Amino acid sequence: MPGATLSRWTMSYFAAACLMLVAGQGLMVAGYGYPFADISAPETLVVVHLIAIGWLSLLMAGALLQFVPVLIARPVIGGRFAMPALLLLLGGLGCLLGGFVALSGALDLPLALLPIGGVMLLAGFGLFAGILAVTLLSARPLPLPARFVATGLAALVGAALIGSAFTATLSGFTESPLLDRLVADGVALHAALGLGGWLSATAVGVSYRLFSMFLLAPEVERSTSRAAWWGASLAVGLVVVAVVFVLSGIFGAALLFAAALLLTLMAVMLYGADVLHIYRGRKRKQAELNICASFAALGLCAISILLLNVPSLRSGNMVAAVVYLFVFGWLTGLGLAQLYKIVAFLTWLEAYGPVLGRAPVPRVQDLVDERHALILFRLYYGAVGIAVLSLAAGTTGFFRMAVAGQLLSTLCLIREFIRARRLSIVPAALRAPAGMVRPRLFLPLSAFQGDK
Amino acid sequence: MSEITPKVLDVRPILRSGGEPFQAIMQAVQDLQPGQALTLLATFRPQPLFRVMEGRGFDHEAREIDGGDWEVLFTPKKDAAPVETSVDADRPETWPDPSEHLDLTDLDPPEPMVRILAAAEALEPGEVLFAVLAREPLFLFPELTKRGHQWAGNFDETGSAYRILVRIGEA
Repeated sequence: MPGATLSRWTMSYFAAACLMLVAGQGLMVAGYGYPFADISAPETLVVVHLIAIGWLSLLMAGALLQFVPVLIARPVIGGRFAMPALLLLLGGLGCLLGGFVALSGALDLPLALLPIGGVMLLAGFGLFAGILAVTLLSARPLPLPARFVATGLAALVGAALIGSAFTATLSGFTESPLLDRLVADGVALHAALGLGGWLSATAVGVSYRLFSMFLLAPEVERSTSRAAWWGASLAVGLVVVAVVFVLSGIFGAALLFAAALLLTLMAVMLYGADVLHIYRGRKRKQAELNICASFAALGLCAISILLLNVPSLRSGNMVAAVVYLFVFGWLTGLGLAQLYKIVAFLTWLEAYGPVLGRAPVPRVQDLVDERHALILFRLYYGAVGIAVLSLAAGTTGFFRMAVAGQLLSTLCLIREFIRARRLSIVPAALRAPAGMVRPRLFLPLSAFQGDK
Repeated sequence: MSEITPKVLDVRPILRSGGEPFQAIMQAVQDLQPGQALTLLATFRPQPLFRVMEGRGFDHEAREIDGGDWEVLFTPKKDAAPVETSVDADRPETWPDPSEHLDLTDLDPPEPMVRILAAAEALEPGEVLFAVLAREPLFLFPELTKRGHQWAGNFDETGSAYRILVRIGEA
C-alpha cells in the first residue's frame, strides 16, 4: 500500500549529525587541523571525517530514511536496521577518529582503531545502503529523483570501500603496492565519491522533489533533469574507473578525473536551470526561508564546481578553499536550510497528526521563527564567505574568527531546531490540543511506533 | 468488474444561450473520480474538444441523438495511472456518490491533509468525500487507515492532479 510514515530514527540521525557539526567546527576554532596543520595531516583527517561522515553523511542518511518513501510512494523495507546502522556508523567514526589521533601521536592510542573503524563504517554504510537499495528495488521503474539517490548510494559504497582500504594501509595492517598507489593517488577520488557522488547526487535528487513541493510547482520529468542525472552518474562511473586505473598503475586517472569534473559542471548547470524552471512555475508567490537559503547553497555549489574545473586551482591553498566552499557553502548550507523545514514538518506531523481535523492545530510555520532564522542564515553564509577567502589568502587568524562565526550561527540554528521540537514557539492557545502527542527531543516515542 | 457510472454534463443550455461551455467542461473533467468517464451532451459534434481531451488522456465515442444533438462519451485511456487503494477498500466503484467535494489544488502541503481529515470528521460512517490535490498525499494515507477510513485515488490523465475518494469508516 502506498504511503509514508514517520521514520523512527531520523531525528536521532539528525541529532548526532548536529553534534558532529558543532564538534568539527569547534576543533577548527581551537586551531586543530588544516590550516594549522598540513592538509594531509592526521589532525586534518579528524576534522574532515567529523564533518563528512559525522555531520553530512548522518544528516543525509537520516533524511533519506524519511524521504525515499516520499520519492517512490512506498514505505522503507527493513527500517528496523536503521538504528543498528546508526550505532555502527557512530562507533566506526569514533574508532576512525581515534585511529587518526593515534597516527598524529597526540595520544597513545592503538593504531588498530583505524582498520576497526574502517570495517565498522563499511558495515554501517553497507547496512544503510542495503535498506535503501532493497526499498528502491521494490519500486522500479524509479522516478528520476530516486535514480539520483541510487547513483548516490553506489558512490557511497565506493567511497566507503576506498576509505576502509586506506585505513588498512595507513595502520600498516596490510602491505600491498596496489593499496600504496591508492593512498598516494586516490585521495581526491575518495573525496569526489563521498562529497560529490554520495552527498551531492542524493541532495540534488531529493531537492528536485522538495523544491517543487515547497514552491507548489508542477512536477515534470524534464529532459534537462534526465541529462543532469546522466551527467552525474557518468561522472561517478568515470571516478570509479579512475580508481581502477590508480590501483592497477595505469596512466590516465587524472584525465578521467578532469573529465568527471567537467561532466559534473554540466550536470550542475542543468540542475540549476531545472531549479530555475521550478521556481518560475511556482504557485506560491513568496518562497520560504528554507528555499531561499537552499538557493544560496546551490549558487555556491555552482561556483565551487566551476573553480574545481580550473586545473591551477586543484592544488595547495586554493583547493582547500574551494573544497571548504563546497562542503560548508553547498552541502552544509543546503543541509541546515532543509533541516530547518524538515524538523518543523516532522515534529508537526508527530505532534498533531493524531488530532488533525478534530481540533484546531497550529500551522507548520507556527513551529518556527523565520525572522530570527533569517538573521542566522545570513550570519552563517557571511562567515563561510570570509572563511573561504581567508583560506585562499592564507590568513589563519581571520579563518578562525570566521569559523567561530559559523559555529555561533550553527549553534543558534540548532537551538531553533530544539525550540521547534519542543513546540516552544507555537502560540500557547494552539500548542496542546487534547489528544496531541508531545514529541521527544530526538528519540522515537516508543519501540513499537512507526515503521516495522 | 462494474464501473463507476459516467458523470453527465449537459452543455446544451449554455450553448443555446450563446455561452462558452469550455470552462464548465474542464471543471467537470477535473472533478471526475479516479477511472470515471464523462458523458457530454452538446448541440453539435464538438470536434475541437476531442483534441483537448485526447491530450488529457481520454478516448471519445460520439453519436448523434434526437434533434441533431450529440452525445459524446469520454473514457480515460487504459494506460492512465492505476488506481491505488487502501488495503481494506473493496470495490470503490460500489461506493455511494460523494457527499462532499473539495478542490485543494492551490493549498500548500500539508494543508490539504488537514482539510481532508477535518471534512472526514464531519461526515457520517459510510459517506464518501472526494478531493482533488496538486500531489499525492503520502502522509495522509496511513492517517486515514489509522482512523478506519477507506480510500482510493490516482493521478489524473495529465499527471498534474491527484484525485482521492475517502469512505468514512465506523470509528
